[in-house]
Amino acid sequence: MFEPVPPSYWVALSALLFAAGAVGVLTRRSAILVFLSVELMLNAANLSLVAFANQWADAGAAVAMSGQTVVFVVLAIAAAEVAVGLGILVAIFRDRASTDVDVLSEVRA
Amino acid sequence: MLAFAALATVMLVGAIGVVTLRQPVHAALSLVGTLLALAVAYVQLNAGFLAAIQVIVYAGAIMVLFLFVIMLLALDGDAPPANLAWLRPAAWGAGGLAVVALLAVLLRDPLGPAAPAAIAEVFAGSGVGGVADQLFGRFVLSFHLVGVLLLTGVVAAVGLVQRKAGQAAEARARAGQAGAVPPDAPPLPGREPVEA
Repeated sequence: MFEPVPPSYWVALSALLFAAGAVGVLTRRSAILVFLSVELMLNAANLSLVAFANQWADAGAAVAMSGQTVVFVVLAIAAAEVAVGLGILVAIFRDRASTDVDVLSEVRA
Repeated sequence: MLAFAALATVMLVGAIGVVTLRQPVHAALSLVGTLLALAVAYVQLNAGFLAAIQVIVYAGAIMVLFLFVIMLLALDGDAPPANLAWLRPAAWGAGGLAVVALLAVLLRDPLGPAAPAAIAEVFAGSGVGGVADQLFGRFVLSFHLVGVLLLTGVVAAVGLVQRKAGQAAEARARAGQAGAVPPDAPPLPGREPVEA
């Protein structure tokens, strides 16, 4: 259906997505938008893992599916992280009526 | 190569939308677009099972949670409501189109009794067998730990958000004194006075 592209293309795309997520984490002020950018970075890492798994499958390695399995585990961990993170956000918002990370900077030690 | 370029464009436009759009709901929907494009990329990389998981868990469950919290906190309070008069006919049109397309597919290829060989053909090359071998073999410890982590996460989220009974009644009384809400209305999360 698709003609295959070299793995380096996928990894480059993953790097661009990761960089975009990093910019978001550093520039957004609302904590929920920072959180969305973190999700983007997680997905960028997943894309390169799947690309590497595909590369090793092409090379005939026996453990080629490990990359995809790690992505599965990352997905489950991301789900747990989102549940806890959004819970923290709701709790903070009740207390401060704001999710602006500049307002919350006093949380640091 | 053309497919890759189109996919990369969709992903990067979505990613830039996540980083730049001002409305949280728009940023979240932009991320949904990127995640769906990633699912297509997974199909292209012979990981059909992960593509399905990506759509169901990430673009589905996780993003719905995000949208719930964005709307619960009403983060975009001061934006004027957009005029969406075109949305209703467009939605009916899209729904009708979906019905026609699905019925056309069904009429062209009616469902027969499911044969194991046909099911195996559908899942061939999707990686579901390989992922299962690894997950219940080399990664079996990770599998169990992820189970414990998910349970812990759910309990922690409930514990974080739950309010004690006294606090809820107090918030309701305070809202009643302010005159904004009748005293018997349920407390609106995130709309309480700041001095709490």
